[in-house]
Amino acid sequence: MVKVFTPADALYGLEDLLLVAGKLLDEEISPRTVRLYATQGLIDRPGKEGRSAVYGHRHLLQLVLVRALARRGLSLSAIAPFCVLADADLEQQLEQLDGEGAAATAPSANEALQYLRDLPSTADAVGAAAEESSSFARKAAAMGSVLGMLNKPLSSRTSDNGSRWLRFTLAPGIEVHVRDSVLPPPAGPRRQQWLQHLLDRLNALLDDADR
Amino acid sequence: MTRPTLRFRPLRPAVASDRPSILDLLLTITPPPAAAEANRRERPPLNLALVIDRSGSMGGTKLSYARKAARFLAGELTSRDRLAIVSFDDEVQIVVASRPVADPQPFIAAINTIDSGGCTALFDGWRAGATQVAEHLDPAAMNRVLLLSDGQANEGLTNQDQIAAKVAGLTQRGISTSAFGLGDDFDEDLMGAMAAAGDGTLAHIETPSQLADLYASELRGLASTFGRRVSLGLRGKHGAEVVDLLNDLKRTGAGNYQLPNLRAGQELNVGLRLELPAWIPNQEILSVRLAWEAPGSGDRQSLIEHLQLPVMAHGELDQLDGDEAVAEQLALFKANRERKRVITELDRGDVISASASLGKLFGDLSAMPATPRLTRELDLLSEKLALLKSDPKRSRKNLRRESQRSSLNVWESEGGPRD
Repeated sequence: MVKVFTPADALYGLEDLLLVAGKLLDEEISPRTVRLYATQGLIDRPGKEGRSAVYGHRHLLQLVLVRALARRGLSLSAIAPFCVLADADLEQQLEQLDGEGAAATAPSANEALQYLRDLPSTADAVGAAAEESSSFARKAAAMGSVLGMLNKPLSSRTSDNGSRWLRFTLAPGIEVHVRDSVLPPPAGPRRQQWLQHLLDRLNALLDDADR
Repeated sequence: MTRPTLRFRPLRPAVASDRPSILDLLLTITPPPAAAEANRRERPPLNLALVIDRSGSMGGTKLSYARKAARFLAGELTSRDRLAIVSFDDEVQIVVASRPVADPQPFIAAINTIDSGGCTALFDGWRAGATQVAEHLDPAAMNRVLLLSDGQANEGLTNQDQIAAKVAGLTQRGISTSAFGLGDDFDEDLMGAMAAAGDGTLAHIETPSQLADLYASELRGLASTFGRRVSLGLRGKHGAEVVDLLNDLKRTGAGNYQLPNLRAGQELNVGLRLELPAWIPNQEILSVRLAWEAPGSGDRQSLIEHLQLPVMAHGELDQLDGDEAVAEQLALFKANRERKRVITELDRGDVISASASLGKLFGDLSAMPATPRLTRELDLLSEKLALLKSDPKRSRKNLRRESQRSSLNVWESEGGPRD
């Protein structure tokens, strides 16, 4: 297993990014691959410094995750839902890849302990947490009803090769599909950040489509 | 360092060159034997929490045996090991906070104070035990929660999938969980799900007097663990496709399969069926990647093997006899899977179909050449068939346990062979 610890605030040019990711994955990555992933929304758009693109820790995580999943035979469209996750969740996804090509670190005592402390302890708290996870669906459903979509099921489960997708109708002709393995962050700043991120992505995609 | 070996054992030693064919095969994984020096070598230290259900139903004999077995466990550990004892009913009590077992006496004295009480807050009990282990998590040790319960979770978090997801989250962070069900009333589906998610051992104990044997076996298992968080990746090549995995293994996040812990000297088999197009000679059919984490290191190690087989005309291939040992193991896997169907029928209240399915399974297996393993399997099946009438609940429990032998370390009281 390759273990490379990269600082969270590191910045890379395209070549540096290819080098670091290539080392992590033990494979050569071409600039074209990175551009392709960026156009498909699998990697965030790079920042700009003058005329050259600048990549950060998040880009690295996304690139490594996409390659690692693609190597396992997942299609890019199946991978896409993972790429919009928050950094911490990207790291966790990588960790779950059985260590292959992942920047995962050995689990530390604090991690297990922190995990247990974060688990709700009482029945009430548990109930609240269970509601929390479905509140995303309910809120999206509520949003749909605001938009006047009362005549259609607002959220339904569709099955696709064993993976399950939640389907939300936001407005007539506009749907959002979320794989049920994607856990939206709990309500609060992280949720807002997550939604904002998705919105930015959508914005970029719409711009692309205009061209 | 010694490594496990991975062998391909096809049912028939070739594939067809002139038309599509089916290839049944076993993957046999053999961890290195427990070497002679392994006995002299120190086993890894253990960091354990024993979580004991003391809900009302545990009162009397069961709890007295649970106490006795806990005393036995404390007596088997050394000053290099840590042990915590947690008991729960509707409340969780830390009987002994995690500490090195330099002297078992304080543990024994504390264990003797455990009395039976109210409801079964199983999840909270697990969580408290896990926290005791986590506070002293040692990457060089085997860190595990041993959960003993005779009941159904009826207080706090009770949903099986949610509990299993939380147990799995802890497994990824270095602490495994074994689940031991005691008596006739525990929730076998929940305990099975916890042991599977916990990368630990599943046991059903019918009489509490078996507890000490179980703990002894669990300690041996922990001491001989060669690899944990074991995963298996399968890739069909050149149009070959894996169409069935007979062990019904759980998928990992990365699309691989989760295997039970590798234990020194204990062989592990995986049954596969592949569909192949008419095959061109000298092409790789399948690549297999086994990955595991050695106790005492956070590093994952892996092993990759490729399968190639000779080709022949299908007429010739059909003439070949199958390997009997392979056929037997594949049939045993199928029998484990068939048990799940029987359980589904039982859960529908359809005892007649369940009996019929068991009867058919019995018939199919008894038509095969008799071997000690098959004979034992037939005994197990006829036992379940009889129990369906007299004690369907117990029959279901046993069927559930036996169905999980292909995918989990399952404790067998008779010390019989594992599948």
